Amino acid sequence: MVEMEHPTLTWQAMQEGNVFYRRQQCYSTPDKLPELGDYIIAGCRYGGPIALMRDNTKLTALGRSTPAVSKSQIQIYSPAGESLLTFSWDQGRIIRFGWTIEEKLAVLNEEGVYRLYDLQGDYEQFSLGSEAAELGIVDARIHDNGLVALTSTLTLLEVKGWEGVRPLTLANPGLSEPPHSWAVIPPDLNISRHVEVLLSVDATIHTVDNLESVDQRLSRGPFTHVSPSPNGKSLALLTFNGTLWVVSADFQRNMAEFDTSTVVGAEGPVRQVEWCGNDAILVTWHSLAVLVGPYGDTLHYPYYGSTFAITEMDGVRVIGQEVCDLIQKVPASSLSIFRPGSTSASAILFDAWESFNKKSPKADENIRSIKPELAKAVNECIDAAGQEWEPYWQRRLLNAAKFGRSFLDFHNPTDFVQMGQTLKVLNAVRFYEVGIPLTYTQYNYASPSRLITRLTSRNMHLLALRISAFLGLKPDAVLKHWACAKILKSRPTTTGTGKDAELSGDDDVCRTIVEKFEELGGSDVSYADIAKKAWEVGRGGLATKLLDHEPKGSDQVPLLLAMKEDRLALVKAVDSGDTDLVYHVLLHLHKRLPLGSFFRLLEDGGKTLAPATKLLEVYAREQNREMLRDFYYSDDRRVESAVLSLDEASRMQDQSSKIAAVKTAQKFFSEDKDRSFEAKVTDEYSRLLTIQQQLEGEADGKIKFFGSSLDETIRLCIVNGFSKRADKLKSDFKVPDKRFWYIKLYGLTESRDFEGLETFAKSKRSPIGYEAFVRHLVEKGYQKEAITYVARCDPPKRADLYIECGEWRMAGKECKDRNDKAKLDDLRKRAPNSLIQRELDQIATNMK
Amino acid sequence: MASGEQASTSSADKQLDVNILKEIAKKDLVNGAKTLVLDASLAGPLGLVTEVSLLKHHGVDKMFWLEPGPLTSSTNNIVYICRPRIKHVKIIADHIKRHAKESRKHNYTLLLVPRVSTLVSRILEEEGVLGDVTISSYNLQFIPIAEDVISLEHENTLRELWVDGDETIIYDSAQALLNVQRIFGHFPQIIGKGDYAQARRLATLLSRQNPKASNGSSPEPLSSSSSKIDSLIILDRRVDMITPLLTQLTYEGLVDELVGIKNCKSFNTTAGATSAPTASTSTTPAAIPVVAVKKDAKKKHHLTTATDPLFAELRDLNFSSVGKKLNQVARRLNEDYKTNLQGQTVAQLRDFVGKLGGLQTEHQALGLHTRLSELIVPLTRTDVFNKSLEIQQNLLASYEVTAQLNAIEDLIAQGADMQIVLRLLCLASLTAGGVKAKNLENIKREILQAYGYEYLPLLLSLSAPSLSVLFPNPLPPSTPSSVAALKYPFAQLRKSLRLLIDDNPEALDEVENDISFVYSGYAPISVRLVQCIAQKGGVISNPAEKEKASNEANSAGDQKKLSIGKVQAHPIVGWKGFEDVVSVIPGQTVEIVQKTSNNVVASGPLAALGSTTTTTVVFFLGGCTYTEIAALRWVGRQNKGRKFLVATTGIVSGASIIEGIAGIGQSAGPKTTAATV
Repeated sequence: MVEMEHPTLTWQAMQEGNVFYRRQQCYSTPDKLPELGDYIIAGCRYGGPIALMRDNTKLTALGRSTPAVSKSQIQIYSPAGESLLTFSWDQGRIIRFGWTIEEKLAVLNEEGVYRLYDLQGDYEQFSLGSEAAELGIVDARIHDNGLVALTSTLTLLEVKGWEGVRPLTLANPGLSEPPHSWAVIPPDLNISRHVEVLLSVDATIHTVDNLESVDQRLSRGPFTHVSPSPNGKSLALLTFNGTLWVVSADFQRNMAEFDTSTVVGAEGPVRQVEWCGNDAILVTWHSLAVLVGPYGDTLHYPYYGSTFAITEMDGVRVIGQEVCDLIQKVPASSLSIFRPGSTSASAILFDAWESFNKKSPKADENIRSIKPELAKAVNECIDAAGQEWEPYWQRRLLNAAKFGRSFLDFHNPTDFVQMGQTLKVLNAVRFYEVGIPLTYTQYNYASPSRLITRLTSRNMHLLALRISAFLGLKPDAVLKHWACAKILKSRPTTTGTGKDAELSGDDDVCRTIVEKFEELGGSDVSYADIAKKAWEVGRGGLATKLLDHEPKGSDQVPLLLAMKEDRLALVKAVDSGDTDLVYHVLLHLHKRLPLGSFFRLLEDGGKTLAPATKLLEVYAREQNREMLRDFYYSDDRRVESAVLSLDEASRMQDQSSKIAAVKTAQKFFSEDKDRSFEAKVTDEYSRLLTIQQQLEGEADGKIKFFGSSLDETIRLCIVNGFSKRADKLKSDFKVPDKRFWYIKLYGLTESRDFEGLETFAKSKRSPIGYEAFVRHLVEKGYQKEAITYVARCDPPKRADLYIECGEWRMAGKECKDRNDKAKLDDLRKRAPNSLIQRELDQIATNMK
Repeated sequence: MASGEQASTSSADKQLDVNILKEIAKKDLVNGAKTLVLDASLAGPLGLVTEVSLLKHHGVDKMFWLEPGPLTSSTNNIVYICRPRIKHVKIIADHIKRHAKESRKHNYTLLLVPRVSTLVSRILEEEGVLGDVTISSYNLQFIPIAEDVISLEHENTLRELWVDGDETIIYDSAQALLNVQRIFGHFPQIIGKGDYAQARRLATLLSRQNPKASNGSSPEPLSSSSSKIDSLIILDRRVDMITPLLTQLTYEGLVDELVGIKNCKSFNTTAGATSAPTASTSTTPAAIPVVAVKKDAKKKHHLTTATDPLFAELRDLNFSSVGKKLNQVARRLNEDYKTNLQGQTVAQLRDFVGKLGGLQTEHQALGLHTRLSELIVPLTRTDVFNKSLEIQQNLLASYEVTAQLNAIEDLIAQGADMQIVLRLLCLASLTAGGVKAKNLENIKREILQAYGYEYLPLLLSLSAPSLSVLFPNPLPPSTPSSVAALKYPFAQLRKSLRLLIDDNPEALDEVENDISFVYSGYAPISVRLVQCIAQKGGVISNPAEKEKASNEANSAGDQKKLSIGKVQAHPIVGWKGFEDVVSVIPGQTVEIVQKTSNNVVASGPLAALGSTTTTTVVFFLGGCTYTEIAALRWVGRQNKGRKFLVATTGIVSGASIIEGIAGIGQSAGPKTTAATV
């Protein structure tokens, strides 16, 4: 076995050997990257890729490996030097580009238009607004969660987040010329939680936020570089004469000063000033990088050709022509184990484990000596494993931890297991083909799910899926991205004949996607989202097929509407049972389609669309009667048309238009041969209304007839003495005798025309009997008048009826006449007072 | 006759706590509003979940009804709460436009019950005021109206579903039932019967949305099937249109029929003599401040068993026994007072004073119910009432149908209420499988002449295929066969479901031992169907009879407190045994077993613990009557181990059905009760 390089070989000491920095080579990239000095570069943090664009101010010889292109072109490389994407820019001149937290490349041009490119070259485009477009943008700074743009009038615009929100104008710094250099402290690093802009103007620096612009009254400027530290608490400033000056972000404290002009081997201007952690600064020149510590001590790192440095949260990544390095302070745990001559418990544990491997008895001795600190030593070994790049050392350190653990009675294995898992994932993504040199700290900072997203955006679905499964995450996000990518990749096959081929292509893709989802249990993935993607790339057929698998109607329908799949949208909405969704579709279609085709759509739908039709009727009845009338008419629905007419009639106040509406209804009914009864009664209705109109005329409008029912009309006639008209109405409308008699009885009683009632009662034999007369009169309080009718009632009932009239004596007499002794006894029991009692008693005695 | 006491005490600990729903409903409403404008149809339901004082506490300054006409508000914020009906939205739009004309600025918030609707925003858009209104929703779903009844308190469901074809309520019901599932766990089984596939639709809606919700990101663990609820039974009102057409004869039902109960509140005249104020409330002018509403509240009585122990005993009794019961209670009260007053020592007196509060509530309750009964008794003595009862009984027995039709004609001539006449006519049509075309036409004509031709659309709706409660016999040759298939097989059901129990003196006992007591001899089909699922024995014979022997062995006068004689409820196995009977009823049959991951696990302990009480939820799509609830309570008392929770879209009665379909009462405002029938 080849002995691996000892970790300390990459270490270099600073501050008299108290602090070590290490340069970890992540990838070697010979001949993979162009000469970086000729390019404008933006690097993505968290081990992300770099984007390069030719710097037009630099001269290059033609015919080298890079072809000459007239248009702006942006190339994206992974840290391992693999080309990920190349795209050309066809918009206005690019001002600036940079990476968002989601690993998308934001490209801003002079017209204030910016696009967010993902690693597949798909982009979203936003604008800073028309005002910014008119003014023009001269510079910008892009940070993880937004950007700040400098307009040609030297005002600052801020965009928060990457959702295309409207830019905010920051306080006007009142500049007369562009700043020498400037930088932005992102909002999440500020106490105020607002973005802060640092502008180097003349000898001083202005700090600008959304409220005010403050002159910090410095005298050492102007500065060529302004660079805030990763935690936002300090600033590194480089003056024109080459002095690197570190101050606190509020300019209150001087922290360090260093003269860069004295650096040996430094040629030309300083290219970059980047932070390495929060207490060291990397200053780069062409082919040299110098790390400056807090006390002015330096470490020199020579490179071949130009370099590009990216500040990471736990170090600085340097991409050179041939290598990708990570320079960082050696973490405490590594230091404690590997520092030469270290006597820490963890170092001894590691040593013990090595001795154990060599079967040396020293192992036991060592373990004994650190017994009290063993747990801490184990933890440190686990932690140190996470900090190592080489799996060889990771494994050794974990083994040492495991070895130490076996001497402990109680030790929670969670950390150990998790570290093992995490390292597996990290090693997988660090592999050069994937090219994400993520450190353990960075991985913990950005969550595992973000790592999955980053993998899927590189179309590395299998790896993403495996990692998801390994970490016990849901596969949904990966599956969704995979399905979208699948749709994009699978152009409808052109072989085969025309439409059929496309159909089968759609079927295949749909089936593959559905099968995969079912197999992997991606039940939470919304098919509607995927279908939307399919539709966006012009695969309408596929989109429809995918939508069939979407269980939620509310997700299906909007897309179907957008796809102009009107009928299907309506069917799905009806299926969902959500009436609101049906309304949504109906109202949408009503707006978009010509009325005729809208109706046809519903009529052709037959039974399946019947609920939708019903809902339309409900809506139209209240809101759009004109449409409803047209609808019924076009569908030959006579009965509904007639009912609608009647309904309108019932709301009308004007008499003649009401009659007209009823007549219309009558016409509709008469057109349907099954509706002869309805036609007949509506005809009666209109006749009645006409008669009522006449009656009101005759009564000089004093009595309101119009709109009341036939019975009511007859009653009104009787009450008001138009008995001839009442008789005429009876014969005209063929009112049955029984009903007429009741009406007349009620009417005459009401008008207290008891004489009339008497004559009426005698006019012929009552079809309703005379009991009704008695009961009604009694009910209305005319007991005396009622008495006369009792005699005409059935003999057995008379006695009771007399009592209802309050005529106990008559009742008693009646009993006597009929010789009904039992009844009389009953009466005697019920008698209300002694007077009556006595009378009844008398009758009773007479009977004997 | 089982005692109400027993039901309420045992239900207190075993019933599902429906008050959770109440709390949820309350929480949602909280907002710092100023002027509240209420949809009148919501005022009642809202009153059940919150109090005016709570609203005031949240900054409500004044409350108005949502009515046409100007709205003057002194506050800047106006909050509307209404159902998403087009009519309401138009009124709101009108208010806003008026205010704009008078250049008054207000902030408008529209809370839609139970959810936001596209339709509303579209109409506001068409009216040009969408931009001025903030729309959000107030998810008022099931409201507990008794300890074992929850209701959506949605009015007019029947018209919406079977006349207009507006299925919104089905969706809302599904949402509400899903919410119930969320709280109590899955319904292990869904069994239903539904014409027009409505119940079927509801069931599929329910089962479709389940998997989605269960493994979604929703925090609540939905995957477990409920251990408290054994099944959900969905009955579509179309399955049994006959029952609500009949006159309800239980106390609560009769009060609803004759006086009117709305959102658990009944109108009652305090003195019994002055009935005039009741009438005046229905003609309250537009936008009365809430002070007026509060005045009404004095006359309205919230009928609830929580504050009125007597009501629990009375509500499900057949009205004929109510007088006896009241008498009993009065006597007992009197004795209680007396015995307590004999207390000599201070301690005894203290005891008495302590009990006094309870006695007084009971006293008050007694007073209330006595007055209510007083109010009802004369109404039950009227000619029309008795005549209609007689016709009903005859029709149910299919006795001399033609004579009954003539009797209906007589009622028209006498000027009886239209709803009574129509109920009888529909009943005749349903029980006899249609009315002879010539007779039908005659009666229809008389109805139109007597009550007004404007009721023609109502008659058409009743005979439309979707409702088909009124049709000629034989059907005209042009009718499609699908409609003919909807014919209700009453005669067949009467036999197979043992609907009619003779009302002769010997059978009277039998009546009391069967659910048919609620209609004095007729067992509601809907409840029989529930029995087909949950108490199969009860359909075939009276379960109570078996107990009688042991019952008599106990103290004779005492009511049966025994649980010895009670049969353990059998597990729910769908329609098993009654498939044939059920299949003759028009409409589809539903049986769904909801699969859940731990179904097997759950059944294990359940089977072992035979004594655990489970609850069967019975959902009436389209509303149920008080009598049906009473009958279900009765069924629940017959078995141990099973309770019923009645869920419904609303409480209906024959009158409210007919009036709803006719569209009466929609415009009449909040108080449609006819205090003087």
